[in-house]
Amino acid sequence: MADGKLAWMSRALPHELAVDEEEVARRKEFLEFRDEDIEQLKGLRELARKYADPVIEEFYRHILSFDETKAFFRDPKVLARVKQLQKDYFVRLTEGDYGAAYVANRLKIGAAHEHVNLEPKWYLGMYAFYLRLVARRLQEAFASEPSRAMTAFLSLMKLVFLDVGLAVDTYIHAREATMRKQQEAIRELSTPVLQIRERLLLLPIIGVIDTHRARLITDSLLRAIRANRAKVVVMDVTGVATIDSKVANHLIQTVTAAGLMGAKVIVTGLSSDVAQALVALGLDLAKLETVGDLQGGIEEAERLLGYEVVRTGAGAQPG
Amino acid sequence: MAVPILKQGDVLIASMQEALTDRALIELRDRLSDQVGRFRARSVIVDVTALDVLDSFATRTIRGIAYTAKLRGARTVVVGIQPEVAFAMVELGLTFEGVETALDLEEGLALVRGGPAKGGRDGAR
Amino acid sequence: MAPAETRVPIEHEGDIVTARQKGRELAAARGLSLTEQTLVATAISEVARNIVVYAQRGEVLLAPVDDGGRRGLMVVARDAGPGIPNPDLAMRDGYTTGNSLGMGLPGAKRLMDEFELSTAVGKGTTVTMKKWVR
Repeated sequence: MADGKLAWMSRALPHELAVDEEEVARRKEFLEFRDEDIEQLKGLRELARKYADPVIEEFYRHILSFDETKAFFRDPKVLARVKQLQKDYFVRLTEGDYGAAYVANRLKIGAAHEHVNLEPKWYLGMYAFYLRLVARRLQEAFASEPSRAMTAFLSLMKLVFLDVGLAVDTYIHAREATMRKQQEAIRELSTPVLQIRERLLLLPIIGVIDTHRARLITDSLLRAIRANRAKVVVMDVTGVATIDSKVANHLIQTVTAAGLMGAKVIVTGLSSDVAQALVALGLDLAKLETVGDLQGGIEEAERLLGYEVVRTGAGAQPG
Repeated sequence: MAVPILKQGDVLIASMQEALTDRALIELRDRLSDQVGRFRARSVIVDVTALDVLDSFATRTIRGIAYTAKLRGARTVVVGIQPEVAFAMVELGLTFEGVETALDLEEGLALVRGGPAKGGRDGAR
Repeated sequence: MAPAETRVPIEHEGDIVTARQKGRELAAARGLSLTEQTLVATAISEVARNIVVYAQRGEVLLAPVDDGGRRGLMVVARDAGPGIPNPDLAMRDGYTTGNSLGMGLPGAKRLMDEFELSTAVGKGTTVTMKKWVR
């Protein structure tokens, strides 16, 4: 990932995720991360510098011993760079400054992991391993004062959980952004309104209907009714796999709105399953005019419009 | 700003030209009801083409016009509901239950002159 | 930069029309689509009528809002009227004590993206609504 993009993310992320000063303070409060914890961590500074190299080496030995995590470090240059970053982080944990810059940095790292598709299970597992490594070093360093080792470790754990929380947020945020993009894409494909005869529109609905899409469908249908001076609309739902009460209500709304503009809607393509489900749901479908299949619907629409379709001879070419 | 009511044969046409206050709407309802009787009108067309909002009050009042006219022996067609307005109405949960609608004045007139509400004959033109 | 807000006093029913026309103008200026402008104007009509019917007088404030890159319009309808004794009931479809269909508040809520009702008996009612540009 380009450094420019990372720099942008570190500025934009706290804002996008609504992780402002107040929010960070609240999280720390919940973790009971207090001044004495900061002091504890600062007290580990010399140790951290001393152990940074061996701890990180062991850490990466573990990561590289699993195919799933090893895959992220095939390039030796990448490995060298992340090792250095990891060392910086290790030392930073004991520097006593866990303010806005620290938070932005953690969010950036989380986003970077998400970006390379390192799944949370590995990320969390790596953190657990990391904590165990540190715990062991603390135990050794404070062999004569086990309670000090414990206190320091608990302080570190609070901070690490703050970090993990931030990283998980970036994962969720990124996934949501992806989902939004996909929804946009679906919307683009959305729903064509086709004029198949003068004053007769065909509205084939395919796929999943949610509230937002239902509104778009209604919106474009209403405009098409005015633009084409349509009197009858055939709405074909053959391509809608399941219709629950919510979807049914959306469809009824669409039909009602078209009706307000003086257009009659004929619904076609309700499968037997869907029809039975709708009845079981006890929905008031009396408002819906339905015809079994699309062909029947178009024939009914033509009849309503006064068209008479006549075969001009066996095998006659159209036109 | 009273809404003009035009008389064309046995059809009364109320054409709303601008956004209406509640009072103007109520006044229209009363005048229409009066004129249906006076002119022995068979149909009333309420043209809302110029309205950019039909809120719950307007909807209810127009529905009132239609029900009153019906009791007085006339059929009401509301014409010219704009796409955005129709959209907002269904979002609000409003309908013109029992009131006929048509795309515009021309369609409305065809509907009341062409007889039954089904009225699809003109499609064959 | 704090964008300017527009204040429409609501003192008689004619002001309902003024409020929704102003609302539509501002919604358009904010970049809301024609359909969304209509939804906003209709919602304003509902809450402004509530003021006229229940509190006699009050005001509608219209202000642009921004939130993390989203642009939108905020509508605040407030009065110092009698307040709503049972707000939960007032938010239920079909409920009414005055001469509206009871569509007012729940209807306005459906038309907007965000809706907040705050009311105190004897003190007044404030409805805050937002619509975001998609």
